[in-house]
Amino acid sequence: MWGRVVEIMTAVWLAASPFVFSVQSDSSILWGDFGIALLIATLSGLSYWHPTRRAHLGILVVSIGLVLWGRFAVLPPPPAHQNHIVVGLFLLMIALIPNYASLPPRAWRTDATG
Amino acid sequence: MSFASVPVEDLNRPVPPYRHNPSAWSQRIPICLLAFVAALISSHLSLYQWDLIDSTWDPVFGDGSNRVLKSDTAKSMYGLLGIHDAALGVLAYLGDAILGFAGSPRRWQYRPWLVILFGIDVIPLGIVSVILVVLQAFVVGEWCFLCLVTATISLILVYWAWDEVRVSLAYLRIVWVDNHDWRLLWDAFWGNRQEKLDMAAEQLLSREVK
Repeated sequence: MWGRVVEIMTAVWLAASPFVFSVQSDSSILWGDFGIALLIATLSGLSYWHPTRRAHLGILVVSIGLVLWGRFAVLPPPPAHQNHIVVGLFLLMIALIPNYASLPPRAWRTDATG
Repeated sequence: MSFASVPVEDLNRPVPPYRHNPSAWSQRIPICLLAFVAALISSHLSLYQWDLIDSTWDPVFGDGSNRVLKSDTAKSMYGLLGIHDAALGVLAYLGDAILGFAGSPRRWQYRPWLVILFGIDVIPLGIVSVILVVLQAFVVGEWCFLCLVTATISLILVYWAWDEVRVSLAYLRIVWVDNHDWRLLWDAFWGNRQEKLDMAAEQLLSREVK
């Protein structure tokens, strides 16, 4: 589940980033980052529960939205929005990683002959 | 949750035409480590592009690296992407490391989609990045030492990653040639298990090593 751990760590970074980039006075960025971070952490957390084990794939949609927000909200993108682009592209890769990625998929975890 | 697994020796069987298993950890970990080194180097370059450091380290071309990284070409890339090209390089190399690390030692069969995605990240993007670095040198008229180092790393990564992509494509080709069934090929690509897919993998594994 290392992919999910990295997603949650990235969500924490996103929640902290309005303060890192000193834009906490901009309520749209502040609450936008908080909301998106919460959504990412929730989808990632849900992936630990078997019935919603593929919830992390929802982060792909969130990531695309984050990249588009960062790229087009303000032109040229200031540092806080560049952070959105970078975080979005990073999450696009991480969200693809399956749960228990180092093991064979569940269907292949029995002997091929048996 | 049960993790009854395939015996390790089955996961690590050599895949012809190679005498090794291209998906083995011993094959993939060096790729991940080298990609991570390239990501660190690109991070250094992007810190300069973000004006967070005064200069880049360049023992060969002196101020050439700084001029390349702040050139009009680099600025036009920034205008297009919204982030600096070195930052995009960081993401691409991290992608190589992440996609290289995910998956079991038999992912060439169990997760071909992951191997092919890894191949797309490493091979075409690696070649394009090398071409861009070389072109940049001719367009800008300056050389950037660390850019050349990362371009060399990209080529090494392409060379190291190719065998795994090749056996994954060979497996999918066997599935297609033997069955001509799009549905089965789809299942093979996404790693859904079927008896015919076991047979296709066994056919590949039993080929003679030349």
